[in-house]
Amino acid sequence: MEEPTLRIRELQKDRVDFVMSGVDLAFANSLRRVIMADVATVAIDMVEIEVNTTVLVDEFLSHRLGMIPLTSTNCEEGMRYKRDCPCLGFCRYCAIVYEIDVRCTEGEMNVTSEHLTMIPPDQWDHDEEASAAEDILAKRGKNFGVPAGPATDPDPQRKPISLVRLRKGQALKARCIARKGIAKEHAKWSPCSAVGFEYDPHNKLRHTSYWFETDEKAEWPLSKNAIEEAPPGDVFDFTAVPEQFYFDVETTGSLNPQEVCMRVRLPVPACAWKLTMQCRVWQSCKISLLR
Amino acid sequence: MNALPRFELFTLGDGEKAIEVVEDTKIPNAATIRVAKQDHTLANMIRGYLLKNPKVLFAGYKVPHPLEPHFILKIQTDGTATPVEVLQEVCTTLLTLVAKIEGKFKEQFQQKELEVGLEEPYGAPGGRLPRGDYTEPRRANAMDYLDF
Repeated sequence: MEEPTLRIRELQKDRVDFVMSGVDLAFANSLRRVIMADVATVAIDMVEIEVNTTVLVDEFLSHRLGMIPLTSTNCEEGMRYKRDCPCLGFCRYCAIVYEIDVRCTEGEMNVTSEHLTMIPPDQWDHDEEASAAEDILAKRGKNFGVPAGPATDPDPQRKPISLVRLRKGQALKARCIARKGIAKEHAKWSPCSAVGFEYDPHNKLRHTSYWFETDEKAEWPLSKNAIEEAPPGDVFDFTAVPEQFYFDVETTGSLNPQEVCMRVRLPVPACAWKLTMQCRVWQSCKISLLR
Repeated sequence: MNALPRFELFTLGDGEKAIEVVEDTKIPNAATIRVAKQDHTLANMIRGYLLKNPKVLFAGYKVPHPLEPHFILKIQTDGTATPVEVLQEVCTTLLTLVAKIEGKFKEQFQQKELEVGLEEPYGAPGGRLPRGDYTEPRRANAMDYLDF
């Protein structure tokens, strides 16, 4: 079998650009799908609104709260899915509880993700099962559950995420419960805001035909990936298959490690975790086939 | 309120079989395989690598309904191996491929980290934050710019 190759072209704290070759188009596309929809993160899943005199309705605010990226370093091991947890409601192993309590007393103010305060598990008002699973909590990364923003990023330009703007006298009070999940369930659990995927920048394979007004070349400029491949010759090679795949993965910040030196390693868990998860899927397929 | 749990799209139900094989009675060396709670991610990848296998005469998959989370894979071989054997072979190939790519990612990220560390020796404003809360252990021989 052909040896796969991988080359990272660019790496930033919230994005990675890489080129992959030696694999099938089908495999590359599966990798893209996995990066987008199968990596576990934490996101607010339930909101109990106590007071809402803001201009936005409860559902609107709940949706916005759910979309906030929460730092989820090593969420795969550091947290349980609700469905796998023996607890009845929520516990420290399968949930994180937040409270938001804002009242505008003067002028106008912005409610942001900074107003979301994490409630420590010992202050939760519910019965918790005493199970010996403390090691799960130890596996969590630093700032686990903290909304991605100025609290997790040393960049002074970094701004918190806006939720709603309040006028004098308006208030918002709610309790939010965050859960572990994957983006197949809801897109809020996706660790990526975008995944760029391209192959055959010169359209040598003629997998697409360009619509144009007068001049095809002028209206369809080549992408930046075009420099990686030789321009097409005169003869159309009908046996050619896609060989190089260009990925550009941009994260939301939920799986963005805070540390200056760690940020370059950010997408390793994003890619590798799910790859190992897929391994498990294949293994289970194999096991059931052998039976 | 009466909606099904959302995770039913990707977790097996009670007693549900992950994979079911039905041997085809009309076509020689053919089988239809139903894989539950999986989608195009796995199906297309398996199909792609089945077609690369010289023993395979036909391989195709379909997701019968977009709201039903399963796919059907049809395989016909040339008779030197059964469809299930070929599928197992392909799964093993894919597993090694995934392991290889995982290794490449690790290697490349470590290399990039070293490069970036050289490019911006003082890091971002706010100073150097402590290491150690990351899943992957730091390489023992990796030198940091502050290690004198």
